[in-house]
Amino acid sequence: MGTASIVLNLAWRNLWRNYRRTVIMLMAVVVGVWAMIFMSAMMRGMVDGMLVDSIRSLPGHIQIHNPNFRDDPTVNNLFPSPNENLIAVLEQEDVVAWSSRVRVPAVVMSERNSRGITLVGIDPVAEVSVSSVADDMTEGQFLSGTEDTGLILGRRLAERLETEVGKRVVVLTQDPSNEIVDRGFRVIGVYEAQVASTEEIYAFAGRSTLQMLLGIGGQVSEIAVLGADYRDTEALHHRINTAVGNRLEVLPWYELNRYLSSMLGMMDGFVLIWIVVIFLALSFGLVNTLVMSVFERVREIGLMMALGMKPAVILGQIIAESLMLLGMGLLIGNVFAWATIQQLREGIDLSAVSEGLEMMGAGSVLTPSLQTSDVVMATVVVLVLGFLASLLPAVRASRYHPVDAITKV
Amino acid sequence: MHAVRCIDVRKIYKQGDEDVIGLNGVSIEVEEGGFVCLRSPSGGGKTTLLNVMGGLDRPDSGEIWIAGKRIDNLSKAPLARMRLHRIGFVFQAYNLIPVLTARENVEFVMQVQGVSVVDRKKRSLEILSEVGLEGLEDRRPAKMSGGQQQRVAVARAIASNPAIVLADEPTANLDSNTARHLMELFVELNQHRGTTFVIATHDQMVMGYARRLIRMLDGKLVEDIDQEAV
Amino acid sequence: MSITFRLAWRNIWRQPRRTWLTVGALVFSNILLIFLISVQLGTYLMMIDNTLAPLTGHLQVQYEGYKDDQRIHQSVPAVRGLAADIRERLSLETIAARGAAFALTSSEDRTYGVQIIGVEPEFEPRISTLPGLIREGRFLDDINAPEIVIGAVLARNLRVQLGDELTILGSARDGSFAATVVRVVGIFESGVVELDRSFAEMPLGFFQDTFVMEGAGHTVVINAQDLFSVSTLQQQVQALLPDMEGLVVHDWNDLQPGLRQAIQADLVGAWFMYGVLVILVAFSVLNTQLMSVLERTREFGITMSLGLTSGRLGWLIMLETTMIGLLGLGLGVSLGGLVVYWFTVNGFAYPGLELAAQFNLPDRIYPNLNSISLLVGPCVVFLASLIAAVYPAARLHFLQPVQAMKAA
Repeated sequence: MGTASIVLNLAWRNLWRNYRRTVIMLMAVVVGVWAMIFMSAMMRGMVDGMLVDSIRSLPGHIQIHNPNFRDDPTVNNLFPSPNENLIAVLEQEDVVAWSSRVRVPAVVMSERNSRGITLVGIDPVAEVSVSSVADDMTEGQFLSGTEDTGLILGRRLAERLETEVGKRVVVLTQDPSNEIVDRGFRVIGVYEAQVASTEEIYAFAGRSTLQMLLGIGGQVSEIAVLGADYRDTEALHHRINTAVGNRLEVLPWYELNRYLSSMLGMMDGFVLIWIVVIFLALSFGLVNTLVMSVFERVREIGLMMALGMKPAVILGQIIAESLMLLGMGLLIGNVFAWATIQQLREGIDLSAVSEGLEMMGAGSVLTPSLQTSDVVMATVVVLVLGFLASLLPAVRASRYHPVDAITKV
Repeated sequence: MHAVRCIDVRKIYKQGDEDVIGLNGVSIEVEEGGFVCLRSPSGGGKTTLLNVMGGLDRPDSGEIWIAGKRIDNLSKAPLARMRLHRIGFVFQAYNLIPVLTARENVEFVMQVQGVSVVDRKKRSLEILSEVGLEGLEDRRPAKMSGGQQQRVAVARAIASNPAIVLADEPTANLDSNTARHLMELFVELNQHRGTTFVIATHDQMVMGYARRLIRMLDGKLVEDIDQEAV
Repeated sequence: MSITFRLAWRNIWRQPRRTWLTVGALVFSNILLIFLISVQLGTYLMMIDNTLAPLTGHLQVQYEGYKDDQRIHQSVPAVRGLAADIRERLSLETIAARGAAFALTSSEDRTYGVQIIGVEPEFEPRISTLPGLIREGRFLDDINAPEIVIGAVLARNLRVQLGDELTILGSARDGSFAATVVRVVGIFESGVVELDRSFAEMPLGFFQDTFVMEGAGHTVVINAQDLFSVSTLQQQVQALLPDMEGLVVHDWNDLQPGLRQAIQADLVGAWFMYGVLVILVAFSVLNTQLMSVLERTREFGITMSLGLTSGRLGWLIMLETTMIGLLGLGLGVSLGGLVVYWFTVNGFAYPGLELAAQFNLPDRIYPNLNSISLLVGPCVVFLASLIAAVYPAARLHFLQPVQAMKAA
């Protein structure tokens, strides 16, 4: 047997000499690791949820605008509907869906009330694959085509206006020459959004109907593109950018929504801090356990040294003991965390505090999201810091003088 | 009245898979004020007999009486009370509480017995001086010699004026001179206080002090000699 | 000091390193808990403040149903008189009357739908932070002047500057057409896009004329000294309201139900984290005390042979744990108090926080240190330590003196 296997063997057996202590410490590590992974998954899940809701509620992964549109989102800053060049890019495989929209500020007036909104003219067939509006319909019908003359309102807006499906409302907006134009619409459907404040902002009409009202021909305000994965939009972004040239502004979601992208960045920090904090709370117990286990074995360690075992072997043995304990804890903790997350994969219904979550920009169903990178990070942090924490007792043990150690009672 | 009386006491231990006979029908009576030595080879049953007499261990069958009260059928709490007030123990070594001083070791037992603060201060000093530890009252066990430690243990054992003091190999860790002094202390306490002593030992010197010498083998009494008569 | 106390105290110092490590774990989690709970409390108070301060206030007197429907005819009659009356009777200055209506607001070439709020220029600055957030120009000063202050985003959208005129078009309370022209005298910037984009304030007198309010308004906003005295004030105001007019007093929780829920949602996550920390510390104490019991088995055997009951020894362990726990509590509270106090004075920020302004969160965090945030965490840790020691203490119950004395 080589030295390494002797060291590992001894470490393993020593670990179970005082099984109670080991089991308690193991339980602590398991709870710690479980909490690290589970909490990280919940934090990730929340941000993911916010992102998905936000991307699905309108923006898509990449948007194309007139360069002035974001600063002044009105009918004055439009661009022609996509040319062949752009369509060719948008029809490629990695584009899941795309849709062009007209967005203008408008006022909706019912018999009783009026509200300022953003009116979005859409192509319902294309829009269904890009955003979730059609999925969220609770009453009435969705638009049937770009020439549909109906109007879709959010639930909260409909309540504010005291109107309902089947009733008529008047929409006022401005055409490119700043003249007020208006048109009566029949409310044909009502939607509910994950984040209820969107219900008060957006109303949807047929794109052609709106283009006709505004007298803007085939021009649009934005094109929203849905790629395969919101985490990986670089290539697509680049391709679209090349296709449209510098006449138009092409932006990925993380530049369109700074709040979300910074939340995503902050989460990395939070997850790391959380993992380190948990480890520190564990480390006191870990060092304590190792110190005790060394202390009890002083004579034995002295004896082994007297028999000619090198201090480095003693050192390795203590560290191996510590890493074995942490390794087992990591394994079991991860399994538990995974099982918990599996249990919750349908999502946790938090609708009791939905208005509060909305203030934070989150929807009311929280689905934990387990990320491999977090598991790896937790494992690395625990093993590296665990190694450092066990150095102290291990070095002490390796420095005993054999005779002193043996005679110590 | 007998200080201790055992009637047909039997005790079997399990050691691994084997049954080991600890006591095999021991009957013995020790008079009040007696000074008895139990001798046997290792495993002969003397420690078991002491433990059973002191209520530390429960016999499988038979009866144990201490100062006229049967104790083998008592439950845990009354048994502890019995040990606290009627029985004193002295063991081989390391039987003091290491973090308490000599006086505190004695006082601690008194406190548990419910002796008032003033009384226990006074009495602990008296008892310590009685066992010859004047001036060492505030030392911790680690700062005392083996003999001195055993004297503290004796002081603690007699603090409650017990009916009987059971000593298990009290001299085993002492040199012969110190051991002799300890035995002289036992004899003195036996004579002046009338405290009954039962001492398990295999030390010839210790046996020399005994008025009655009982030899055990394989859990049975095999010899009971009245040394004064000899 | 009784011998039992001395015994317990000396026992915990038999292994100073172990005791200090355990105390260290307690102190670490205590400091962490004090910090986190203080930060939480501080953030919540600031979040509430930031949400309520621009418009909502602590209490609002409204016509019943106005909160949900916001119809222009659900009004409070003689609203300025009512505000003045409450001001006088409560001797409280932080009270102001308002009116509100939706209107189309047009500049030369743009039109937007805007929530117009009529305010009392004299009293509005006492209940709202918006007058203090004027970036250009000034706040309103004459209750009847045809003036308006608008948010920065709205100004950009309408392409107007100070001194420009805006046309206001809406429906008056009597159903007639309300139309007027006002001059932009100030532009405010709160950082909250929603406010900066869709709100404008004009003097209440002028508002009442424009929307034919006949002296009526929609709300009387009342601010209490602090959040904790809101409910008392609410009762006082309720008692002052004239009968028969269908007026109600809403507190901030009615007006912004999301706020309390946001706090509750956040609390769930926070409690989970605190719970995990406390459990980990409890494991640490459990391990230490179990070791301490196991290595003293022989000694316990001897003390039991002297007639001590296992129950008494169990209490000794609990006493030792109490001492360790109190050490952790004392050190944790004093160190944690000092550390967190430093932060309450200096505050701290972390990257990304500046964007939180969108959600009424502060961009710099000042923890709120008070007796609750200081003591709740450490006290729970202390209790958890005691509970953790129950197992080692209870194990003594099964200790047999003869076996115990044979232990190494």
